[in-house]
Amino acid sequence: MTLSVDERWDLIDKISRATVTFGEYRHTLKDAIGELTVKPMTGVPVAIAILYGFWSVFGSFAGTLCTDGFFVKLFDGYWLPWLQGVFPGQGGWLYSIMVDAGGMQSGKFVLSDNCFEAFGVLTSGLFVAIGVVLPAIFIFYLMLALLEDVGYMPRLAVLIDTMLHKIGLHGYAIVPTILSLGCNVPGVAATRILETRKQRFIMMTLLAIFIPCGAQIGIMQDVVPDLMGWILLYLIIGYFVFGYILNKIVPGRAPEFLIDVPPYRRPMLSNIGKKVWGRIAGFFKVALPFVLLGCALVNVLYLLGVIQWLGDTLAPVFVGWFGVPKETAGPLVAAFLRKDLAVAQLSVIEMTQYQMITSVVLVSIYFPCVATFAMMLKEGWKELIGAIGVLAVVVFTYGGLIHLIGILLGVA
Amino acid sequence: MAENASPVAAIYFAILGIVTTAFGLADLLVSAGGGGFSYGILEVPGDIFRGGWGGLVVLFAGLFYLSGVRNFDDIHQFAKIVMGSIMIWIMAGCDIFAMITESIPGGEEGPWFNTLSGFIGTYAPPYTPAVILLPFSLVVIYYIHQRNSSEG
Repeated sequence: MTLSVDERWDLIDKISRATVTFGEYRHTLKDAIGELTVKPMTGVPVAIAILYGFWSVFGSFAGTLCTDGFFVKLFDGYWLPWLQGVFPGQGGWLYSIMVDAGGMQSGKFVLSDNCFEAFGVLTSGLFVAIGVVLPAIFIFYLMLALLEDVGYMPRLAVLIDTMLHKIGLHGYAIVPTILSLGCNVPGVAATRILETRKQRFIMMTLLAIFIPCGAQIGIMQDVVPDLMGWILLYLIIGYFVFGYILNKIVPGRAPEFLIDVPPYRRPMLSNIGKKVWGRIAGFFKVALPFVLLGCALVNVLYLLGVIQWLGDTLAPVFVGWFGVPKETAGPLVAAFLRKDLAVAQLSVIEMTQYQMITSVVLVSIYFPCVATFAMMLKEGWKELIGAIGVLAVVVFTYGGLIHLIGILLGVA
Repeated sequence: MAENASPVAAIYFAILGIVTTAFGLADLLVSAGGGGFSYGILEVPGDIFRGGWGGLVVLFAGLFYLSGVRNFDDIHQFAKIVMGSIMIWIMAGCDIFAMITESIPGGEEGPWFNTLSGFIGTYAPPYTPAVILLPFSLVVIYYIHQRNSSEG
């Protein structure tokens, strides 16, 4: 059926008479609160409060209740001793890889007394995956889904848009950034929402370097809780400084964006459930195998003496340039495979607070973990090579700069 | 909103705003000093996260109250008061949630779950400024309800 122009307008009038109510619109409280959370003067304090709530609940649930409250006790008190007893071949290769790498004291093999130090696939690997990462990403994705469903995320995107434009991105870049705080893998996948190659490259590079994943944050919360603030501050500063530089040197466009800000709504339990389940299932499918595989690989490399050799070779750089003790070289090299385990390894090395901050920041900005590496490769090998080039420069300049700041402050 | 309700409400939230701002500043100053502070049922946390970041949120909540009391009947001004209360609820909610998560496990050397006395003991004072401010911030619900009913 074809309608003439007049007939179309008549039809439009008819529909609008039946569906649209005309009259003076009075702002409701919900509208006014919605405006407050978008305007910078009032929106920034609200964002600061909401992010505080986000991390406070994250730390209390994942750290205090789940990991420290129950999983440490379960894994260190029951699972580790049981496996150490029943797994055959104590001190052998397979035992070291699967259960406990242990240590040597006066020529005798000594078993570890906690899962942070055992480094076995079935002990440290499972403990990190189930005892640390699972509660961390569960509460993280639950809070994120809640903010999305309430309608706060688009407001945060609008609020941060101006700031992110300075680094060649726009407000929507907050989505991959926040997703990456759970796991870098979906974060890298979410860079596809950005329009241009330049934006995707900048975003992917910044995620791989400056955004610690939930596993790493969970471990940091557990082993260096007092230093978390400083470590995150260094990472945030690096994110914006190097983003700004990348925006200046990477050719391409960084267009504006249009966003529809929905009204605040009551969150739907079924929606939140589906989102959380989908994301956790995705993590288990894509990232979890890498946690266990990474754990096994680190052990094999340790047993073969590769990490020791690399550590010894690179020690002058670590000690002289980054200002961290020689012993950190091993964990820093192993960080390529498991950043969370590397942080756990660092926590048992004797060093000053500032050296600990530097080491953990280096672990974060060091090579992305294997799972993220694989995901970046999927997005394009040229982007991956470019990101690695940027990463190498960033590690040396930023690592050296942090050392220099420490020297100037008299704490390094 | 009923006309005679505004002056009382404005005075109430002005006082609450001053107290909240003072608590926020105290939070920031104490955390800048590096140690916690306790007096009676009040405990000001000294760590950078709860005292520093959290103190900043309490301070902002106080400023929201103070900027909202003028022309209280206007919906946009009233929204600032509501937002100040929401910020207190976020802070107090987080503190109470932290208490709950601490009260359930039995501790490193203890049993799996806390004892009844240990569980109840976790909720004993002293409390953070946000928890103390919580009941006073709930008054805003009355005014929201009053506004809704007057608007039909």
